[in-house]
Amino acid sequence: MKILDIALKDMTRSFRSVFAVFFMLGVPLLVTGMFYFMFGNIAGEGGFNLPKTKVAIANLDEGGPKFQVNPRNIPGGKKADTMGELVVSILQSDEMSDLIEVMLADSAAAARAAVDNQSAQVAIIIPPDFSDKFADVNEDAVIEFYQDPTLTIGPAIMKSILNRFLDGMAGVKIAVTVFLDEADSEETALAGQVVQLYLKDSLAESDDPEAELLEVRLPTGTTRNKEEESQNLLLSIVGPIMGGMMVFYAFFTGASTAQSLLKEEEERTLPRLFTTPTSQAAILSGKLLSVFMTICVQVAVLIVAAHWIFGIQWGEVSSVISMAAGIIFSASSFGVFINSFLKNTKQGGVLFGGVLTVTGMLGMISIFAMDSPSAARMGETVSLLVPQGWAVRGLMNSMNGEPLESVLINLLVSLLWSIVFFAVGVWRFNRRYA
Amino acid sequence: MTDLPAIEVLNLRKSFGENHAVQGVSFEVSQGEIFSLLGPNGAGKTTTISMLSCLLRPDDGDARVMGHSIRAEQTGVKSALGVVPQDIALYEDLTARENLTFWGKMYNLRGAKLKARVDEVLDIIGLRDRANERVGKYSGGMKRRVNIGVALLHKPKVIYMDEPTVGIDPQSRRNILDSVVRLKDEGMTVLYTTHYMEEAQELSDHIGIMDHGKLIACGTNDELVKLVGQKTRIDLTLNANAENVMPAWREVEGVSLVSAEDGVVTVLAQDSNLVLPHLFETATRHAARITSVDIHEPNLEAVFLHLTGRALRD
Repeated sequence: MKILDIALKDMTRSFRSVFAVFFMLGVPLLVTGMFYFMFGNIAGEGGFNLPKTKVAIANLDEGGPKFQVNPRNIPGGKKADTMGELVVSILQSDEMSDLIEVMLADSAAAARAAVDNQSAQVAIIIPPDFSDKFADVNEDAVIEFYQDPTLTIGPAIMKSILNRFLDGMAGVKIAVTVFLDEADSEETALAGQVVQLYLKDSLAESDDPEAELLEVRLPTGTTRNKEEESQNLLLSIVGPIMGGMMVFYAFFTGASTAQSLLKEEEERTLPRLFTTPTSQAAILSGKLLSVFMTICVQVAVLIVAAHWIFGIQWGEVSSVISMAAGIIFSASSFGVFINSFLKNTKQGGVLFGGVLTVTGMLGMISIFAMDSPSAARMGETVSLLVPQGWAVRGLMNSMNGEPLESVLINLLVSLLWSIVFFAVGVWRFNRRYA
Repeated sequence: MTDLPAIEVLNLRKSFGENHAVQGVSFEVSQGEIFSLLGPNGAGKTTTISMLSCLLRPDDGDARVMGHSIRAEQTGVKSALGVVPQDIALYEDLTARENLTFWGKMYNLRGAKLKARVDEVLDIIGLRDRANERVGKYSGGMKRRVNIGVALLHKPKVIYMDEPTVGIDPQSRRNILDSVVRLKDEGMTVLYTTHYMEEAQELSDHIGIMDHGKLIACGTNDELVKLVGQKTRIDLTLNANAENVMPAWREVEGVSLVSAEDGVVTVLAQDSNLVLPHLFETATRHAARITSVDIHEPNLEAVFLHLTGRALRD
C-alpha cells in the first residue's frame, strides 16, 4: 500500500508541473503536428497534396527515320514525332499535373541552369539521338537526370516517374523487336502501332497513373481510393515520426522521473522517508512504480491522441499493447539504470543532453533514413544497438500490419534490455542507500 | 509511563574516513523530558541524531529508543520516533494538507484516523486556514512549522528536533520554542540539538555539551554552571596591545582564565566588581585602552569556555 502511496505522490508531483506535462505529451504531439502540416497542407482543403516538383525539360531529340508513331492515344494527346516529344507529352499530361510542373528549356545548359538557380528542382535532358537509339535494338537510349542535391522528395518522385516510364519503354522496345523479328519486316508504321498499343495497355490508359508511378505503402486496414491514398501517404510519413517521437520522449520521461530519487535526496525528503517505519525496499519500489506509471500514462495518451488528432493507425490492438508495454518497460528501466550512475541532479543535464539524445537519435535513425531503402536497412541495424531502436522497430512492425510474432520478438528483446537495466539500477541504488 | 529511559545511548561511535565524527558518546534521556545536545557546528550532534534515527549505522556502540535497539529493532525505533530534520524536508509542490497526509501514511495512519490527525496537526501548527496552499508558497517560518507538524502526526513518544530554529525570524523561533515546551507538557520526550546556548538553557531539563565528537559534559543547567564555579565572564575589546595585556591580566587576583578569540578577550572572574578596576589599570599601564566591556553572569557559554578554552560560537 505504501508503495502505491509513494508512486501516486510522485505522479501527482510530475503531472502538477506544467513543464513536465508539456514535455511528456505536448512536445511529441507538437513535433508530429509540425511534420503533419509540413507534408499535409491540411489547413487548406483538408486533403493531402505533395508540393509540385518543378521540372525543366530540354528535349533535344532530333527523331529518327525508324521511329514513327501516331500518338492520338498517348497521355497528353499531343502529336509526338519523336520519342523525346512522347516523353514530354506524357510529363505534361493532365494526370501528371498534380505532381509535376513542366517548364521547357531550349538547351541542356538552360535546363541545368534552371536547377542551379533553383527555379526548378529537376532537369531532364533528352539527347538528340534518343529516338534513334531507342529504335536501335543494339543501343541504349539514355536520359540525363540533373537534380538539386539538397532536395530529396521531389526529385525522388520525378525519378520514380521516369523509371516507370523507361521500364515501360523497355517493354515497348522488346515488343517492337519481337514484332519485327516475327514479321520479318522493316515496316516502321506497324512498329509505331505496337508502341501505341503497348502504351495504351500499360500506361496511358491507366485509371490512376500516379498510383502506378508512385509506390505507396499502406497502413493496415486501409482501402485505396484517391483521397484516402493521399491521406495514407501522409500517414506513412507522419506515423513513424509520431512513433519515434513517442519512444524518444518516453525515454526522456523515464530518465527525468527516475531522477526524483536524486531530487528527493537533495530536497532531504528521502532521508526523512528513511526515518519513517517504511522499508527501503518499499520506498525504492514506490519510486520505481511511479516511473513506470508515468510512462504508462504518457504512452497511452500519446497513442490515443495521435490516433484522434492525426488519424495514425498503430496496428492491431494486440501488437500495439505489446509494443507499448515494451516501450514502457525499457524506458522506465533505462531511466533507473542511467540515474543510478549519477551523483546529483546537476549531472542529469549532461545525461539528458548526451546519452538520451544520442541513443534516442540512434534508435530513430531508420525513420530518418526511410527515404532510402538501403540507408534504412543500415539504419535499422545500427538502431538495434540501443533499446530505443527495438522499441521503434516493434512499433513500425505493428504499424505496417506485420504479424504479432514479429512484434513479439521486439517486445522480448525490449524486456531483456529492461531486466538488465532494472537489475543494475536497483542494485546500485540499494547499495547507495544501504 | 514506565521507568524505562526514552533514549539510552551506549558508547556510540561513527567515523567518516579520518574524520571521527562521534567518539564514544553515552547519555540517557528520561521519558517526558527535554534533553538538549549543545555544541558548535561540527561537534557531532547531527551525526548522533542520524544514528539514533537509524539513518546512519554506528561503527560501534548501540542505543535504545523506548527499549528498541537502533541496530536490531529499527522498525520499533522508527515507529516510536518523530524526526524534525535540520533542513526543511517537505514536498514544495504539494499543499500542507497533502504533505501531512502523505507523511501520515508513511507512519501507517489511514482513513478517517489519518484525516482527523492531519486536521489536529494543522491546528497545532496554526496553518489550518492555509492548509490547501502549496508549501512552496509559504514563508520560511511556516515551512518550519509544517516540518515539525510532520513529526507529530503519529503521536510519537520521542521526538528529535535537529536545530529547528536555524535561519528563521525571531517570531517563528519563539513559536517553535513554545511548541517544544507544549510537546513536553503533552508527555513527549524531546531530544533537541542546538548551538544556541540560550535555547538549551531555556528549554532543557538536561543538557549534553558536545565538542569534536565527544560529550564533554552532561547534566542540568545548574549542575553545568557549577562546573565553572559560578564565575562571571567578562568580554573586553582593546584598541591595541591585547597580546601584552593578557599575560598581565592573568596575574590579577580573582581572575581564573583569560582567552582571546576574534578580537575579543574573555576573562573569567569570581567577582566582576572587584576585578574590573584592576583590568582597566593594567591595560592603561600597557598603553592599551579598553573600548568595550560586556559582563555575563555564569551560563552555558561560560561552561563551554571553561571546558574547551574556546567560546561557543556559530
